[in-house]
Amino acid sequence: MNDHQPTDSPEPTVEANQEPPIAEAPAPSSMVDGQEHHVDRQSVVVARIIGLSVTSLIAVVPLVIITIGLALGGIPAAVYFALVGCWLVLTSLVLSFAYIWPAARHKRLHYLVDEGGLRIRRGVFWRTVIWIPISRVQHTDFTQGPVQRRFGLATLTVHTAGTAGASISLAGLEHTIAARLCDHLRPDRATDAD
Amino acid sequence: MQTDVRRLNRWSWPFIAANTVRALLIPAVGAVVASGGVLLTRLDFLSLLFIVPAFVYAFIKQRVYSYQFTQSELVVRDGLLTKNVRHISYERIHNVALVRNPIHRLLGVTTARIETAAGGKPEALLRVLSMDAADELRRYTLGEKRQPAETDSPEARAAVAPLLQVPDGELVRLGLISNRGFIVVAAVLGVFSQTNWWNQDWVKDQDWLSITTGLRAKAPDWAAWLFDSGSLVGRGLLGLALIAIFLILLRLLSIAWYLVRYRGFTLRQDEEDLRAEYGLLTQVSSLIPVHRIQLVTVTSTLLHRWFDRTSIDVETAGASTGDSDLSGQLAASGMSTTRQWLAPIVETERAAGLVHRVLPEVDIESVEWQPIEARATRRIVNRVAIVVAPITIVLAVVLTFSPIPLSGWHALWLPSVALAMAWLITRRWVRQAGYALTERAIYFRSGWLSRRVSVVRFVNMQTVSLHQSPFDHRKRMASVAVDTAGAGGTGHRIRIPFLDVDIAGSILQRLYAETRSTEFRW
Repeated sequence: MNDHQPTDSPEPTVEANQEPPIAEAPAPSSMVDGQEHHVDRQSVVVARIIGLSVTSLIAVVPLVIITIGLALGGIPAAVYFALVGCWLVLTSLVLSFAYIWPAARHKRLHYLVDEGGLRIRRGVFWRTVIWIPISRVQHTDFTQGPVQRRFGLATLTVHTAGTAGASISLAGLEHTIAARLCDHLRPDRATDAD
Repeated sequence: MQTDVRRLNRWSWPFIAANTVRALLIPAVGAVVASGGVLLTRLDFLSLLFIVPAFVYAFIKQRVYSYQFTQSELVVRDGLLTKNVRHISYERIHNVALVRNPIHRLLGVTTARIETAAGGKPEALLRVLSMDAADELRRYTLGEKRQPAETDSPEARAAVAPLLQVPDGELVRLGLISNRGFIVVAAVLGVFSQTNWWNQDWVKDQDWLSITTGLRAKAPDWAAWLFDSGSLVGRGLLGLALIAIFLILLRLLSIAWYLVRYRGFTLRQDEEDLRAEYGLLTQVSSLIPVHRIQLVTVTSTLLHRWFDRTSIDVETAGASTGDSDLSGQLAASGMSTTRQWLAPIVETERAAGLVHRVLPEVDIESVEWQPIEARATRRIVNRVAIVVAPITIVLAVVLTFSPIPLSGWHALWLPSVALAMAWLITRRWVRQAGYALTERAIYFRSGWLSRRVSVVRFVNMQTVSLHQSPFDHRKRMASVAVDTAGAGGTGHRIRIPFLDVDIAGSILQRLYAETRSTEFRW
């Protein structure tokens, strides 16, 4: 997991679960293939790291508060342990959600690129399919968070002149793919191609 | 290349002051009302408050306002304390409209309005310039784009037949149809609450009781019972009469509001664009750039249909006009957007024709409407049932255990009436809703009492999407939405619900193919 050298393509053994046979990281040349792809599986790990750290940071706050309450004698010991019990239950619920949710989301996130544009299909309960034609793309962004960089991932953001779909992001792409898509979806390229 | 700094004509100040006074007219009337009319007897005070500041402002404005031509842009400088410099590139300037009234002519000057393709309000307003300066302005900014046209003189303009003219009678109808009276009531209440009018002596000193008894004494015999404090019917009728008077008053205020705001509404062809002019006190002249129309909505509420009228509005959006204070907050989001009237009111039979004249590829009358799924009725009624069921149970329990002499079974009236009504209304709503795809545009209509039809041309579509809630998924349904530029705020849009999932998919495919083959231009 060295940064910036994502030559380590996701091991097929890890991927050999019950998922439908969807190509995980196609060779960059065949990017514009009109086939549905999942984003990189590592994005689940990234989302888990971020989700778990943020939720644990937030979860610590009430624990610290009630502990201070105990130390200052504001809260009786019995109440304190009852509260800690509640805290444990709630925190474990939230943490397990932060662990499970990224995988569920990843399973339901597909993208497709063809000559004309990008299609994103996503949503675990509320499902959405959105088509973004290149002819409507204003510009594209390539961003990499610190955690994403460690895993060689990136986020592609496509901007249109629309309102609800003014900016549409696709997180967790392998960074060379993200860069290629960023390039492919640029509007001036589309006019060149025509 | 850069010219000297140009200034406004030395006769600018009376025009600027007159404009400011006009803008202050409504606050001035408000102040007079708020003072209980006392201000009218103190004209010196009134002028000190409103007229003197207007002239001071005008003199300062004339001093600080300047403009300059560079190679590619017009630079406008304004502001005394906060300096404001605006760069308007010649390329973006769509038109320089010269506005002259008889006083302008007498002094040989003109107001120049610089309009960019963004539409809506002008980018800059030069009040006022000499005719020579105006010619120079047009020469620099428009270049070969347009010869200094004669069409800007009112006579020449009047010669071009307008697309639509809204006479006063129509505005009266509009006032009756759409309830803008509340705006006036809110404003009046605001003034009253500011002034504690109920605490003022002339209100407190009234002997309200004697007024009532006086009214009662004067009332004819047949109406006397109205004031009989014992008569429940009388009180009820009195209450109803008061409500009726209030509603009539609201409508009258609504009519007045429209007459003041939209007096003389005229829609004209202006080169390839449209121009709407209206207003009694504040005269508005706004450009509607046709190629920036993103969405057209035709509205007919129940009241509209009683009068056999409809309203048409359009949503325009343009690239940001820079850091212009005129284009307002939306400049921050890189876009200026407005929803404006194409026709505040028009005869229903003329509406489709008007839209067709403005956008030739749109023809609302000839489209073949496709229905949404009839199965939707049951889903909507089910939703109502889910809400009504717990209420019914609570009601039944309350009825059973309360001293009210009704058995718990009477609670069943609620769901039966509610569901019957829901079913009747929903069925009509579902039948009324529909969509249509033509060669060049997508149409969506919905609404039961207030019916709306929206049209988006394929060139103006941005992203297209399909949405499925868990319930949609279970019933194999989906909705299709079309995103356009500047679709902020509320308003009717293309968002077709309750489609069969396969039909929704094929609509989406078609729309995507259409966006691929068309080019969106700002």
